[in-house]
Amino acid sequence: MLSVISYPVFVLSVVLALVLSISLFPVGWFEFRPEWLGLVVFYWTFRAPAQFGVLLAWCLGLLLDVLEATPLGVNALAMAAVAFLVLTIHPRLRMYPLPQQCLMVFLLLGINQMLVHFVKQLLGADNTGFSYLWPALTSAVLWPLVCGLLDHINQKLG
Amino acid sequence: MRSTIATGLAPVYWLGNAPYQFADWASGLFVSKDELQQENEDLRARLLILERRALKYAALAAENNELRRLMNSAEVLDDRVIVAEVVGVSPDPYSHEVVINKGLRDGVTPGQAILDAHGLMGQVVQASQLTSRVLLLSDSSHAVPVEVVRNGLRAILLGTGNPDALDLVHVPDTADIREGDLLVSSGLGGRFPRGYPVAEVSRISKEPGEPFVSIQATPKAELNQSRLVLVVFPPARPEVSDAGDPAGEGE
Repeated sequence: MLSVISYPVFVLSVVLALVLSISLFPVGWFEFRPEWLGLVVFYWTFRAPAQFGVLLAWCLGLLLDVLEATPLGVNALAMAAVAFLVLTIHPRLRMYPLPQQCLMVFLLLGINQMLVHFVKQLLGADNTGFSYLWPALTSAVLWPLVCGLLDHINQKLG
Repeated sequence: MRSTIATGLAPVYWLGNAPYQFADWASGLFVSKDELQQENEDLRARLLILERRALKYAALAAENNELRRLMNSAEVLDDRVIVAEVVGVSPDPYSHEVVINKGLRDGVTPGQAILDAHGLMGQVVQASQLTSRVLLLSDSSHAVPVEVVRNGLRAILLGTGNPDALDLVHVPDTADIREGDLLVSSGLGGRFPRGYPVAEVSRISKEPGEPFVSIQATPKAELNQSRLVLVVFPPARPEVSDAGDPAGEGE
């Protein structure tokens, strides 16, 4: 838990995550695009559980819904679930070494992806097997980087 | 609600597209004068050819309207179009959607057809003030009523989720259709304007015992390459785009 947090950094990280989650890449990479907003929600509820929680995660998920043109509320629900789970396991999560944190990121964002995928399936999307879990995996790989970077900026500016 | 939030998020689309705008701008800095002159001449030559064709087309259109009047049917007007640029692609790898930089403010409303230089691309499904979302022909939930230009045979063209292949469905085994036939929009259903090229039949496979042949077609439009697209305004309802403006004032 950080003693000080910088709100401008929070806003900036959210905008950056939104831009990255719609930015253009070669078509083949789309499947592996990390769940940037999920990482940001995870980071901020992990680092500052008193300030950021389920409601804010829900609002951010709603923005992602609009950007991705999914039915309103799907990503919102999934993001709220991530925030809730982070808050639930927070005391243990702080004690975990980095590799174990990565595992938790994979699990929680995997749950996020699964929820979104379930709703899409109900609405008639193609069944693509377990490939919808790729974003959770790439996010877990990126977690040390994102966490370290945001920590560093936070300590400089906070 | 969605449209309001999407209007607020327009800067995000703009930022997402910014690297490409910047790359265009940067490559524009390093073009030599000779290249520009060469390009200018090429474009002039092309303009001349197209103008000649347009002259002939005007005469033909007038003649066509004259004939229609003789037959007591309504005159055909040319569709009005505006040019839009693709500023975003759907982040979901399993849906084929793009975002264009024209919205309610420019009179774009859901249901309008989108063309590129080669043919029909798709339709507008959502519009916010500054951007709108276009469902492409190749999305697996998209269908267009088409007809074969050679003999007027009507059928439905479905998207498959593959940008290079569309399915022509419910064509009877005995129908007169060949590989290489051009499919144009038939205008039935009232959503797409009539007569724009949509796809070309690429493969026909007849299976004995099946009531319908399975036909694959290749879209004429460059679905995953075009950056400039045309939004078509149907001529019969110009008042619709006007009616969009009062709603725009209440943003």
